[in-house]
Amino acid sequence: MPFKFFFYLIALFVLYSAYFVVTARNLFRSAMGLLAVLIGIAGMYLLLNAQFLSAVQVVVYIGGIVVLMVFAILLIADVTQKVFEQSPRWRQGLIGAASLLWFSLLAGSMLSYRFGAAAAAVDKSGSIREIGRALLSPAAGGYALPFEVISLLLIAALVGAVTVARADADNGEGKEGKA
Amino acid sequence: MNGPTLEHYLVFSALLFCIGLYGMLTRRNLIAMLMSVELVLNAAALNFVAFHHFLFPGDSGGAVFPIFIIAVAAAEAAVALAIFIALFRHQQHLDVQQSDSLKG
Repeated sequence: MPFKFFFYLIALFVLYSAYFVVTARNLFRSAMGLLAVLIGIAGMYLLLNAQFLSAVQVVVYIGGIVVLMVFAILLIADVTQKVFEQSPRWRQGLIGAASLLWFSLLAGSMLSYRFGAAAAAVDKSGSIREIGRALLSPAAGGYALPFEVISLLLIAALVGAVTVARADADNGEGKEGKA
Repeated sequence: MNGPTLEHYLVFSALLFCIGLYGMLTRRNLIAMLMSVELVLNAAALNFVAFHHFLFPGDSGGAVFPIFIIAVAAAEAAVALAIFIALFRHQQHLDVQQSDSLKG
């Protein structure tokens, strides 16, 4: 009973914040809405008995991605300009209707399908111990290869981000200085 | 046993996905579009965890995949924001409707 109550509480909180993310005209407020959404999703992970994922969500998403976005928003002087260009009303309405239609299709197909009962296993694979084993075992059920690929992707993204932001700074300022 | 069922989570994440989709298609600022993409990614990750918890509690795949989603999202956000900053330096705005210099 209390779990259901918490679920509805978090769901309302997250959906309201998500609505705020996609409609707020100030970019900074939008980022704060995203922060609220991510905190709510971390709460959902706790309800689903995935404590480690909840911690990862808070540390990486909130501590990393949102902070990065806030930095980008503050670096880009647009934030002083309060009102952003928005899509025309007819387009918003059309896309809103299409999204609602898509949601009803998704929800209808999900609710009409009968999911089987859970396999009678103890829910322990969400624990840190099991996740660590799965991430590093090269056996059939393990994820050692994706783990290595992800580490490569992260290093490439790191180098790429620095290169893109820096090289363009030199070039762009040089060109603008001449022009 | 009176807690929320799998369907609760599925409908919730479908709604979150559609809000993200709406934002992705209606926003004209690139950073706002990136934030909408984050909503969509979170909805997908929540689905993984919900299926893991309710249907396959013995299989660690549902618990591991959201970590990969979060890692890819972090890489994507870092590169995308670097590109946005470079783009903003170049043309002084981030409006997708006006960023058409590659158009033939």
